Amino acid sequence: MRSFFIASSPGFVPPSTNDFNLPPSIGDSPYSTKPIFLVFLSVILISAFFIAASRKAAVVPGKLQFAGESVYVFVRKSIGEEIIGHEFMRFVPFLFTLFTFVITNNVFGIVPLLQFPAMSHVAFAYVLAIFSFIVFHAVGIKKQGLIKYLSGIAFMPGVPKFVYILLTPIEIATFFIVRPLTLSLRLFANMFAGHLLLLVFISGGHYMLTNDHLLLKILSPFSFAMGIGMSFFEFMVQCLQAYIITLLTALFIAGALADEH
Amino acid sequence: MATGNEEGALWSIFGYLISGLLIWGGIGWGLDHWLHKGFFLPTGLILGCGASIYLVWLRFGRE
Repeated sequence: MRSFFIASSPGFVPPSTNDFNLPPSIGDSPYSTKPIFLVFLSVILISAFFIAASRKAAVVPGKLQFAGESVYVFVRKSIGEEIIGHEFMRFVPFLFTLFTFVITNNVFGIVPLLQFPAMSHVAFAYVLAIFSFIVFHAVGIKKQGLIKYLSGIAFMPGVPKFVYILLTPIEIATFFIVRPLTLSLRLFANMFAGHLLLLVFISGGHYMLTNDHLLLKILSPFSFAMGIGMSFFEFMVQCLQAYIITLLTALFIAGALADEH
Repeated sequence: MATGNEEGALWSIFGYLISGLLIWGGIGWGLDHWLHKGFFLPTGLILGCGASIYLVWLRFGRE
């Protein structure tokens, strides 16, 4: 039975990291790959949507305006105001941009034909984390002054002096290495794993359907069904990850604004 | 679902635990490598873990 499978089929090639390296569309330019175009497309779509939603702003909003305002109010109220507190308005544009950019690019992962989350390339996630990193440190330095901000990070108040030897390296590592790294890797890993998961079920289903063996043909709908089910699950993960990266950025900003952490 | 602040605390705690292990585990690993011993890495890991739990308590458990 086993040898029959191997003999009758060219063999299933499981999806791998190679499936994420899409070929350039214009010549050999590495700047003309699908993720790059998707990122540009997301910027155009986001701009078009929110310009259209806010152009004819009325007291009684239409459907489009209501949709646009719901997203804005969600970021402003449940992320900005709740986390950062009374100074939150300054950061709403940044948080709003971050949230809409990430959620649009993530959801591209399950939109037919587009079907690729740009954030499954770690470089995109790094760039977002660098932005977040610069913003929250800049806010802290501007608010408290460089020395006070850094000593606030490095030296926890109310601790015996010798304990600093133990704690200060951890604090510094947390603020300058672990925070930006976890911020980007969490987003990247979720998108990467999600895309790989969909690839496994869809390409597996395709392989089973086109296989000569009848049993595999009959069973292939289950694989496709799993692919569809996982797409819904992915949608949830994609929204959640966009929320989490915005939420954590807001929290870091709030931490930098607070005098005593 | 947890509120924003609780969720944030969760991730900050996670960050502290990771960096405690990384930093002191890393120092221990370096000492092992340098002095050709074997006990600095586990010592560092335990020390880092303890220190970061202490730090989490200082940040979130004190008030």
